[in-house]
Amino acid sequence: MSGRAVYAGVDVGSATTKALWIDGDARVLGSRVIPSGGNLADAASRCLQYAAEEAGCSLDSAVCIVATGYGRERVAERSRSVTEISCHARGARALYPEARSVIDIGGQDSKAIALDERGRVLRFEMNDKCAAGTGRFLEVMARLLELDLDRFGSRAGHAVAPVSISSTCTVFAESEVISHLAQDRAVDDIVAGLCRSIAARVHSLVSRARLTAPTMMTGGVAKNVGVVNAMEALLGSPLHIPESPQTVGALGAALYALDEGTQQ
Amino acid sequence: MDLSPWLTVFQNVTADYYEYARNAAAQGRKVAGYFCSYVPQELLYGAGYLPIRILGRVGATSRADELLQPFSCSFARSVLDTALEREWPFLSLTLFSHTCDTMQNVADLWRAHTGDSKTIIVSIPTRVDTEAAAQYYSDELQRVRSLLEEDSGPIAEDAIQQAFDLYQGHRATMNELYRLHAEHPGLLTGTQLMEINLAGQLMDRAEHLAAVKALIAAFQAVSDLPDEKMPRVFVWGSMCRHTAFIELIEQAGCRVVGDDLCVGSRSYAPAHVEGATPMESVVRYYLARAHCPAFHRDMHHPGTALVEAAQRYKAQGVIFLMTNFCDPTAFDYVPITQALEKADIPSLTLSVEQHQEPPEQLRTRVEAFAEMLQGSAVS
Repeated sequence: MSGRAVYAGVDVGSATTKALWIDGDARVLGSRVIPSGGNLADAASRCLQYAAEEAGCSLDSAVCIVATGYGRERVAERSRSVTEISCHARGARALYPEARSVIDIGGQDSKAIALDERGRVLRFEMNDKCAAGTGRFLEVMARLLELDLDRFGSRAGHAVAPVSISSTCTVFAESEVISHLAQDRAVDDIVAGLCRSIAARVHSLVSRARLTAPTMMTGGVAKNVGVVNAMEALLGSPLHIPESPQTVGALGAALYALDEGTQQ
Repeated sequence: MDLSPWLTVFQNVTADYYEYARNAAAQGRKVAGYFCSYVPQELLYGAGYLPIRILGRVGATSRADELLQPFSCSFARSVLDTALEREWPFLSLTLFSHTCDTMQNVADLWRAHTGDSKTIIVSIPTRVDTEAAAQYYSDELQRVRSLLEEDSGPIAEDAIQQAFDLYQGHRATMNELYRLHAEHPGLLTGTQLMEINLAGQLMDRAEHLAAVKALIAAFQAVSDLPDEKMPRVFVWGSMCRHTAFIELIEQAGCRVVGDDLCVGSRSYAPAHVEGATPMESVVRYYLARAHCPAFHRDMHHPGTALVEAAQRYKAQGVIFLMTNFCDPTAFDYVPITQALEKADIPSLTLSVEQHQEPPEQLRTRVEAFAEMLQGSAVS
């Protein structure tokens, strides 16, 4: 593999760190997702290393590495940083050139990004002060209901009469869930209510950013079928979910690395 | 070229918010605290007072929270807290203006819970461009003058005229500094400009004017002016003296080339007016100056002025610094953002609180805004 020009993007999020390697033709060579943990710099290094092994290259062979995500400034290997808004837009557009908008629901924040016809960011809205409408919200609720997070969303599909979760605050929503459990409501109905709650919260961002279809959904929560279904019902249009929604930001970062590397 | 030697005087004043006024009081000068740039400072200056803007402190509040409702803004909380903590023992007089209901409440609470200085509430007509408003404001300033004269003795017409000339000269000079900064950004930062602004509201205007003139001369002498590539932004918003928000915007990659902030350029809004008497000149100035969202002229669309300012300053985008619960600002926000959109000027809204350091998440938003203005994410 020596002599081949390779580029990497690393997306250091609050819950997971994602790294992805591409070659000079923007072909994905390998990627990896690991928990971010408490040491963001170490997580970024390890994730880049693991993804490099999968890509069949070495960390020091990178022509350029771009970091994104809330821990982007902690990445020692980076040539530069780009925000996750630009990176998700770039990654989504590369995977789905027709996309005119992106909804990203990550561990700590959610974003609604409107794109112009060339894929440039036109407007964006972020929920970054509150855990409601984020992956963290789902984590807390899954733990409370003693459900596996990976299967959490599919339980919503079995709901008969979804409950209403009126609070947008994670702490108060948790109290509401406990009340529903006390009233012996079915777990599937509660899960469906929670998925609708998160979708409603994110939909307010979508409205403010005036997103138009086609829309790609990125971030770990895009793997949650319950939230995706609830989101699609509110949008009135289908969402395009990439094969690996968690690594779209890292892909965007890698594409910026390719730009940077080829300009050098 | 480094302008820092000319900036030290301003930074020294803002480093300790109270020191300048405390020293003036210790040297026998009467100090008058005021809350709003609509308080006629020329009358105070003419009566021999050092007018000092009460801007509260950066940091947590406690005692004010016992007295103010949760929907009161962080500025109101902060200024009331400073009064309850007796941070202003050197004030001879405090002047409020009726800008909003919350500040009226603060005035009442200030009077009820301190009592260590005389207080005057200056009532400014909400709509400023009618004959009735001119008559009302003229009568109001005569009332304020009479109240001041109870302590200071008669205020000479010449003293008011001299104060008016000083303040008008100062406004024109600050305007010139803004023009230079907007033309050649980077020699000064927006954060430094904000410090100069703040210092002006804490210092004797004559002293501040001399320092600003010296800075302008140094600025004009610079031959190697920077050629900045940072996106240019104009900042609009409500009451927040916390320069950390301007600093964050600039660290995140945007240059603040101009502002319409309560503690920024709005405090030095120029207006060329001349009355038959010094008092009439003062009255005319405050009714003619550019207005904040608490006051209105001819139902003028609030977005027009901002669109014009953004274009005049060649700003690529506008950043709103919105203090939570500032209703007058929130009312104007909707038509203003619509006007910006119509003019194809992108904007970003940041929620600010005087008592808080800017949360780190805001940096991502401003960086993304900078990237957006630079046209990133091209597929």
